[in-house]
Amino acid sequence: MTNKVIYKEAAAALSVLAILAGLPFLLWYWRNVYVPGKYPPGTQIIHLTAVADGGIWTRDPIVGYSYWWKTPTRVKEIELKQGSHVVLFLSSPDVQHAFSLPNLHVGPVPVPAGHTVEVGFTADHTDELNFACTQVCGRDHSKLAGQFVDSQSRSAQH
Amino acid sequence: MAAPQTLVQPVVVPNTTTEDNAWRFDVFGRWPWVKRVVRMPSFQFLLILPNLLLFYFFLITGLVGTPVGNRNIIIVFVWILWWVVLITALVPFGSRVWCTMCPLPFFGDWLQRRALIRVRPGKSPGTGNQFFGLQKRWPKKLSNIWLQNVGFLFLATFSALLVTRPIVSVVLFAIMILLAAAMALVYRLRTFCNYVCPISGFLSLYAMTSTVELRSSDANECLKCKSKACIRGSEKGWACPWNVYMGKLDRNNYCGLCFECVKSCPNDNISLYLRPFATSDVSIKGYDEVWKASIMLVLAFSYSVVLLSPWGRFKDWANVSETHNWGGFAIYAVVQILLALVIFPGLYYLSIRVAKWYAKADGLSVRELFLAYSYMLVPLGLLAWIAFSIPLIMINGAYIISVASDPLGWGMNLFGTADFPWTPFLPEWVPFLQVVVLLLGLYYSLRGLHRVALKLFSDPVQRNRSLIPPTVLLVGVTLVFLRLFIG
Repeated sequence: MTNKVIYKEAAAALSVLAILAGLPFLLWYWRNVYVPGKYPPGTQIIHLTAVADGGIWTRDPIVGYSYWWKTPTRVKEIELKQGSHVVLFLSSPDVQHAFSLPNLHVGPVPVPAGHTVEVGFTADHTDELNFACTQVCGRDHSKLAGQFVDSQSRSAQH
Repeated sequence: MAAPQTLVQPVVVPNTTTEDNAWRFDVFGRWPWVKRVVRMPSFQFLLILPNLLLFYFFLITGLVGTPVGNRNIIIVFVWILWWVVLITALVPFGSRVWCTMCPLPFFGDWLQRRALIRVRPGKSPGTGNQFFGLQKRWPKKLSNIWLQNVGFLFLATFSALLVTRPIVSVVLFAIMILLAAAMALVYRLRTFCNYVCPISGFLSLYAMTSTVELRSSDANECLKCKSKACIRGSEKGWACPWNVYMGKLDRNNYCGLCFECVKSCPNDNISLYLRPFATSDVSIKGYDEVWKASIMLVLAFSYSVVLLSPWGRFKDWANVSETHNWGGFAIYAVVQILLALVIFPGLYYLSIRVAKWYAKADGLSVRELFLAYSYMLVPLGLLAWIAFSIPLIMINGAYIISVASDPLGWGMNLFGTADFPWTPFLPEWVPFLQVVVLLLGLYYSLRGLHRVALKLFSDPVQRNRSLIPPTVLLVGVTLVFLRLFIG
């Protein structure tokens, strides 16, 4: 076997391995490095998913592998740092929802099934901020609600 | 001695392999650079690699992308784009060219050959190459496409799940990759592709109609050839993964167009030919192939009822994961299986019995006529699938544009088209196109039937009488499809 054949074979094997390792890395990089890097330092990035069945806002990833077997953890409260910029990535794995944060005049923002929608605001409100789904999305629609709370006042209470 | 290579070769040659007068265009003769390309050791690897990249990406998106089918690239690109390209272009115009670039058996081949590009000469059983693994023979009883028939029918029964839930597609493809790899380690050559892969099953049937074929240029040269390197392999090319001997190859069914035989043929006696659509390969050789034709035709009908018809009840029955109507699903599954395996083959059998009786064809057995005339189900089946696929791309094709920009539903916008709205493309044209395609299918089926009859009957009266019952069946099937497509 000539060196040329060995090099070609090695290059082919490396290209396959590069694909196998590189693609997951690229996706991880996009989600965890590239996207957060687009915002100023200190920005709080929160992924929130609305699930119609049970009326649940969750921070669990509701994706292909977890959709059927995993019961998502309900999020009732999300702590925010007072004055920080917040970016929400809202998604829906089932039907169209709509996100609304009335105290800050955010929304209603439509969250179509399968889409991820970006919403930004500044947490300059000391009160608890209620958020909810404002589009009738199923029998558990009324349960799709939660609160943003100030992390400093929460830790002071504790 | 190797045949001398000539710079100018005949471009259009008479078809010597199928005993008809169809024209053939010698691609390698006219464009020698095509032959040089397919003879490159890395040819198949370079074709598979981008597909592997895409396919692997689809598997990842199926796992970590949105579970919503029409927003996940694995569903939209595989079950809309790939399917439509496969059935409307690759099969009719490229035979089994998908098998040339299919990533599913890639890891199995790699394990079996321990090489991606280079060829290993050696003496593994029955070949002139060195293979790894147990190299067992596939059981003779299973050396047919019955497993593929059953597998495809099973998958089709659960297709509503398959084409809407990304994770189900991931699980299916993962099973296929693992099975292909495991079988490559136990059995010789591409046993998975030949006998198990459900996609391969229908490709084998409909490749008969294709406008390309790989054949020996001179069958006599093959008879004289002692090395049989096309099937056994050599230091230049691997043994035929499909276990096909070029000297006897007269149909596209089981040629996976890997071009290994072109590399290894010591006489430079293999060429790629263009030929007319649905004209040359008209012989069905076994009941497994007849039932494959029946299954495919019935599934084209069943899918059209479930996905295109105005009867929502059938869609609810098929879509059991959402409706949880298990009773309805059981009815749907049982009726579909009965139609494909019993009722439609029974109707076809009846038409053959009547044809034999009416034509007084005492010299032919029912079995012979049943097999020979079953080719008529092939062109109509393929064109019915194409007709079914037209709305897939024209109505749902817009998803391709939006999903290409946001393949995982993560909020990406790679090409600025993530928010492209669902926009049917010329929906009012769909029924017209479907009718034209379906009638073309009927035409090619009738023409194929007539060609077969010409070979079977020398007496024109007998011939015409034998054609009437199967023609009635074909027209009846076409009318049923027309009813579905245009109401």
